[in-house]
Amino acid sequence: MLPEYVAFDLKSAALQWLLILGVGASIALLFAFIRSFALYGTNGPNEVGREIVEGSKDFLGISPRRVGALTMLTVREAIRRKALLVFVVFGILFLFGGWFLTQSNDRPELQVKVYVSFVLTAIQWLILPVVLLLSCWGLPEDIKARSLHTVVTKPARRNEVVLGRMLGFIAVGTMVLVVMSLFGYVWLVRQVPESAQSQLICRVPVYGALKWKDREGNEATKGINTGDIWEFRGYVEGATRGRAIWTFNNLTPADMVEVQEAGKEPVERLRVESRFQAFRTYKGNMNRSLLAQITLVNAAKKLAIPLKPFELSEFGNVVTLIDRKLTYDDDASKTKKTIDLFDDLASDGTLTMEVRCLDANQFIGMAQPDLFIRKPDLPFASGYFKSIAGIWLMMALIVVLGVTASTFVKGPVAMILTFFLLILGSWFHSFLDQLVKGSVQGGGAIESMIRIYDHKNPMVELDPTARNRIIKQIDKIPFFGLRVVSQIVPNFDRFTMSEYVANGFDVPFTEPVPPYDSALLPAILSLAAFAFPCLLLAYYSLKLRELESK
Amino acid sequence: MPAEPVIQIRNLSKIYRDFWGRKKVRALNSLSLDIHKGEVFGLLGPNGSGKTTTLKLLLGLLFPTEGEISMFGKPASDVSKNERIGYLPEESYLYRFLNAEETLDFYGRLFDMPAATRKERANKLIELVGLQGARRRQLKEYSKGMTRRIGLAQALINEPELVMLDEPTSGLDPIGSREMKDLILKLKDQGKTVLMCSHFLADVQDVCDRIAILYQGELKVLGKVDELLKEQDITQIRTSRLSPEAIREIEGVIARHGAKVDGVDHPTASLEDLFLKVVHESRERPGRRFMDSPAVDAKGA
Repeated sequence: MLPEYVAFDLKSAALQWLLILGVGASIALLFAFIRSFALYGTNGPNEVGREIVEGSKDFLGISPRRVGALTMLTVREAIRRKALLVFVVFGILFLFGGWFLTQSNDRPELQVKVYVSFVLTAIQWLILPVVLLLSCWGLPEDIKARSLHTVVTKPARRNEVVLGRMLGFIAVGTMVLVVMSLFGYVWLVRQVPESAQSQLICRVPVYGALKWKDREGNEATKGINTGDIWEFRGYVEGATRGRAIWTFNNLTPADMVEVQEAGKEPVERLRVESRFQAFRTYKGNMNRSLLAQITLVNAAKKLAIPLKPFELSEFGNVVTLIDRKLTYDDDASKTKKTIDLFDDLASDGTLTMEVRCLDANQFIGMAQPDLFIRKPDLPFASGYFKSIAGIWLMMALIVVLGVTASTFVKGPVAMILTFFLLILGSWFHSFLDQLVKGSVQGGGAIESMIRIYDHKNPMVELDPTARNRIIKQIDKIPFFGLRVVSQIVPNFDRFTMSEYVANGFDVPFTEPVPPYDSALLPAILSLAAFAFPCLLLAYYSLKLRELESK
Repeated sequence: MPAEPVIQIRNLSKIYRDFWGRKKVRALNSLSLDIHKGEVFGLLGPNGSGKTTTLKLLLGLLFPTEGEISMFGKPASDVSKNERIGYLPEESYLYRFLNAEETLDFYGRLFDMPAATRKERANKLIELVGLQGARRRQLKEYSKGMTRRIGLAQALINEPELVMLDEPTSGLDPIGSREMKDLILKLKDQGKTVLMCSHFLADVQDVCDRIAILYQGELKVLGKVDELLKEQDITQIRTSRLSPEAIREIEGVIARHGAKVDGVDHPTASLEDLFLKVVHESRERPGRRFMDSPAVDAKGA
């Protein structure tokens, strides 16, 4: 059995990759032995062994000069075949795009979001079709025109041909991407209205782990569900012991920002931003929003410092500035005491914040990324170009898949196959994951049919009859197939980082921030994870086929 | 004693199959032959006889159904053998968007040659094939003859020990064709082995030491060209021009020895020889008509 789906975790991802690679290689070997036995009889296994040895030699003896030659050839080919005409479409889009984007009534951060999304989406969806076409047609055209004959009759190994092609198309894509991204950046900086320029920011958040306490103060696995079908946020009830508790690790004084207040010396404070959602069970006081309060806690030292309550903001973040020196009323000594944020509260770098709702019978909804410590901002370009790096990684993966497909099928079929993988991996992967995890209500195909026939909604459990148990078992078979598909179809959501930048955030390096699924390291590793088996598959596919076959 | 074999083919067969694995055509049937170092070997045969298939099996572009191939002591599937081989395909399947310099530089890189060597070899070969004036033009602008020339240049970029030429004179004008043949002989003088397929029998006769004639995938004839073409039943004597009396006297002598004179005539040159002579003359004396041959009258009829 394949392991259960888990969110991105480096160790489990590596193990999963090795397992899938091992299973795939075993199936390929079994198929190779059967075929070679049919073709060569008892000498078949020797032939398979010989191919493996030759393959290993070819991979160990890769010549950078030959790969470089094939890369250069691919670049020249693309340029001389006018692939760079994509710039014309890009230019036209950007010449007139501004006409349709300017909406001065919108709030500044929304204006920026529209502009940034437009630029990054345009770049992504212009570059992907270009590399898709190039990578899927390159090798089949070479084989059809027999130009490849003049290459493989030289000492060029088939893996060098594949690698050269892949690197060549990636180089072409990189050139296009560099020009487009630079142009896009200048366009953004110039085109975003003056009033919204301040929102071209790159916030660097530090996220904490989120835990819950229920209305009695007991630990809970999640917050209260107020009926929202999107279970992203959990809610805490006002004026109870219900809490959402964030724990931040590895904090240092360098995470504080310098704050300048009018007529005062600049001071360093810890900046906390939050954006909670209000859920009112009754109208209440409509002149103000719901009240929330953050309490800084150090359980080991039995310290709990409540901060000033604040009103929720309907359309924006609430910024809470925490001084390094905090004064509080010590109940034991009945005196006011002052403590240091880093020396006393977060002496080991760990800081806990508890958030509660102060309005009785009202609810505040929170999710893990709704509260974060905002470190000193980076230039907007930092987040923007990290997002471009995500597009680059996605483009490189498309090239790898396209070139691999083109080694065993003709250009049009390779294109359809790669495009199918792109669509499946971009838009349906999360649905596929939910199916595999069993979080989609209603069961499998047969169970769903039975439910329609029995007029049972998906939320109701089927009766534990023998028939229903058999149906559930049969339904597991296609789910196993789907699980395999979900493992071998790349998840392109991991590469889409534009949402972070559009919302004014830096792109995370290791951990994706919900509800998004992307971060730089997982994207890099995903590319590497697909590149190696694809290279192997493409090599043997090209080596074991007759290029002159009739 | 023949030189060491560069190519050894044993019981080589090739069957083309359709998508379902059903036998479509047997292109080659149990071919066995050796090609030795330093010889010019010609593979002849009508269309579909299996000569190009043989070449492609040798190059690893096709896989044999049965039999074995050894080139320089290595199997055909071993890529390292290609370091000692130069291949000119039937059509020049080169990259049409490259120019001559880029083409040779590209193929030189595939042989892992350092930049200086590539440049030197490219210059030398461009001069050898007479493309100095077109070295920066993309190949898509080349005529067929020029394409063949650059194709030949790429085949020689690595100074190969074995040169495999598929229809080397196809698409070349008579001058180009002669130059190609001269080049093949020059390669032979340098000790290189040449394997060529051709439809042009005269070309093969001019340059090949040994030939093999294939028909429907089977080897029909294998041997030295001189020996195969020599007619042992006929004696030919060539002299300078003789008077009618002298001819009658010689005929008498032949009759006395019990033989019969089949014909007495002046030898005719081949059309290729005549063409080359006309071109040469025209180069020497521009503007003048070629009047050397008595067969061409004053009206040019």
